[in-house]
Amino acid sequence: MEQAPEHDSAQSGPGGHLLSQLVAHLREHRTRLQEEWSQRIQQTHLLTAMTPQEMAAETTSVYDNYVEVLETGNVEALQHYAKDLSERIIPRGVETHEVVGIVLLLRDVLARSLFEKYQRDFSMLNEVLDAYEPAANRIANTVAVSFVDERERVIRQQQDAIRELSTPVLPVRERLLILPIIGVLDSERARQLTEQLLSGIRKHRAKVVVIDITGSPDVDESVANHLVQTVDASRLMGASVIITGLSPKIAQTLVTIGVDLSKMNTIGDLQGGLEEAERLLGYTVTRKEVSTSS
Amino acid sequence: MSATERSGDAPGHTADDVADLIPMVRRIVYSRVGSHPSAEDLVQETLTRVLSAASTVEPGMLEPYAIVTARNVVSSLWRDIDRKNRNQHRLVDLSAPEPPEKQVVLEEEQSAMAAALARLDERERRALLDHEVDGADTHALAARHGTTAGAVAAQLNRTRARLRVEYLLAIEHVDPPTDRCRPVLIALSSGDQRRQREVQAAQHLLECEPCARLSQPLLERGQQRNDCLRIPVSSDADIVSARRAARELATRLAFGATDLTVIATAVSEVCRNIVRFAGSGEVVVELLEAPTRGIQIVARDGGPGITDVDRALGDGFSTYGGLGLGLPGVRRLMDEFAIASEPGHGTTVTMTKWEGTDHERPT
Amino acid sequence: MNGGPALVSIMRQGSTLIASVHTALNDSELVRFEHDLVDQIGEHRSRGVIIDVAALDVIDSFAALTLRRIADMARLRGAQTVLVGIQPEVAFTMVRLGMGTGAVPTALDLEEGLALLAEQGSHHPRPDEPEA
Repeated sequence: MEQAPEHDSAQSGPGGHLLSQLVAHLREHRTRLQEEWSQRIQQTHLLTAMTPQEMAAETTSVYDNYVEVLETGNVEALQHYAKDLSERIIPRGVETHEVVGIVLLLRDVLARSLFEKYQRDFSMLNEVLDAYEPAANRIANTVAVSFVDERERVIRQQQDAIRELSTPVLPVRERLLILPIIGVLDSERARQLTEQLLSGIRKHRAKVVVIDITGSPDVDESVANHLVQTVDASRLMGASVIITGLSPKIAQTLVTIGVDLSKMNTIGDLQGGLEEAERLLGYTVTRKEVSTSS
Repeated sequence: MSATERSGDAPGHTADDVADLIPMVRRIVYSRVGSHPSAEDLVQETLTRVLSAASTVEPGMLEPYAIVTARNVVSSLWRDIDRKNRNQHRLVDLSAPEPPEKQVVLEEEQSAMAAALARLDERERRALLDHEVDGADTHALAARHGTTAGAVAAQLNRTRARLRVEYLLAIEHVDPPTDRCRPVLIALSSGDQRRQREVQAAQHLLECEPCARLSQPLLERGQQRNDCLRIPVSSDADIVSARRAARELATRLAFGATDLTVIATAVSEVCRNIVRFAGSGEVVVELLEAPTRGIQIVARDGGPGITDVDRALGDGFSTYGGLGLGLPGVRRLMDEFAIASEPGHGTTVTMTKWEGTDHERPT
Repeated sequence: MNGGPALVSIMRQGSTLIASVHTALNDSELVRFEHDLVDQIGEHRSRGVIIDVAALDVIDSFAALTLRRIADMARLRGAQTVLVGIQPEVAFTMVRLGMGTGAVPTALDLEEGLALLAEQGSHHPRPDEPEA
């Protein structure tokens, strides 16, 4: 009964033989055990977001994967499957506790069938459980971790999307960009804002940028620093920056970190900022006309 | 000094020159064999050899020649002892008939190997010889020593790494000048990166000329790791290639365009400091996996060092003219920044940029 | 510059010199560029200089310093310098590093740079030289 590859801790030692015995048992009673498991899932109201057909298909896959891992000790295939499954069910609102719940149910259903099979031979039962439990726990762990990883990835993606929406670079007219900042600016968002603004300047050939921070209640020192650096970097690309809606609190923060406010073009409100921007642009335009005609 | 008259006609070296070397030769021999009964014989044998060659040795080279000869003589003592004690004649059979020149090289190699083997401890040597010479496989050795085949293989690898180092030391006639030399060379020989960091191998190679020389063949045999780059820096052009290489390596991670530029710029700055203040040094760029993905840059030189690191890190300080911005700017660019500098021994800057959480967007 | 493909080209357009950097330059090449450009400013009695650095993927402290020095030397010789083409990533990195362009004006690209020079030239005519 030697099928043990060296990497497998579950199989090495005296458990190997027992595990293959119990794998045979689980294969033999596959239909009955899987049905029992599905019923338990329904009774505990897990995975209610899925249709019975979907449920049947998924439980079959999970069952077969589960037994395979017990047999080979190789969790890689299971990881892939769990990731794939998570991808499918996360958008439907399946929660972490549900996924962990069904795997633990399967573990218990299978353990119970082992009790039944070996109940007459208590020492044998003990040995079988000794072999089964660590492997089963490892599986439960793998599935839970894969699911949580996937969930976090999805959440990160959504955060990115939200961030992008929340710092739109708006070309209001030729050569003029408006960047309204709404909500709390953390350093990650500030970084993104800078990258978007600077590439926006190049893309729209902007000469003037109005950053309106009326909608941002407060910034910490590192974000304030970042804001100032963004203004400087915009200037290096040939664009002037007007900041509007600077609250007294943020102004204070800027002064605290040593920013000379008189060197920043700050205007009370967005309307005033736009007027100033037009003045700058209009001025430029007339000068250009003069210069090209000369 | 019975051979005095023979060297009388030597252009540069006289018997008196050789006589002047006696204390040094004695020191070399005694430092190696201690109070071994044949120590004085070895001294005499060395002097005889030096004397007989004195006429052909170039002026000024007699002292180095004597040092090498003394070491050779001592190694052959080790070799003899070794031959007696150990049943090694299959590996180092020196009683073969003596064909011309080639034999000398062979003998040199054999004596170096014997010396190297003699430096191993009894158990290591036994295991290695059983494995390499008698052909015992790792399983058999494991069974014999009540351990696993994997452990035996690992131990054999360590032993081979040691043996390579000892062989090089013997054949190059290098006596490691510091306590750190052997651990560093062994770490390089085994290709164990973690161990190399522990013993600060790279730093040592900058400071220790013999080790730098010996490390060459040791490093060449290890296969190049592709997530780690070592770039020597000694000219303007090197600054550009170093920052280009760092940027290229960094593109393997999910760094955005800004971070790539930031990394290249930081590398450029630290390389310039090397060229300006130390003349030469090296930059090691390495991708990190833990605690999270990132890129680490270590810039090292053996230059004059910085006397006041705190001041150098304060904005507005620079030893070369201009704006007084160097290290503080670099520190602002990177996520982690550390500098170690010892006046007279050089400077090491270690800096890291962690991979951001957001992903590249096309610009 | 001598040998190989040109690293930098310097062209004359009226009273303006347009210098384009074509590839990353090392320190010695930067210094040579500085000398070449300053020489030509004197030679042509240029009134404006545009340096296009769009091809520089890194502007570190030395490069920034050299560009500022060129602008200073140009001013001493009666020419106004505009830096154009600084890439977004480079701009931000320069600011973080603490290396701006100082008093040297910047513009998005060559076209903008020329417009800026024209504007400044007509706006602040230098008293020492009569306008054309």
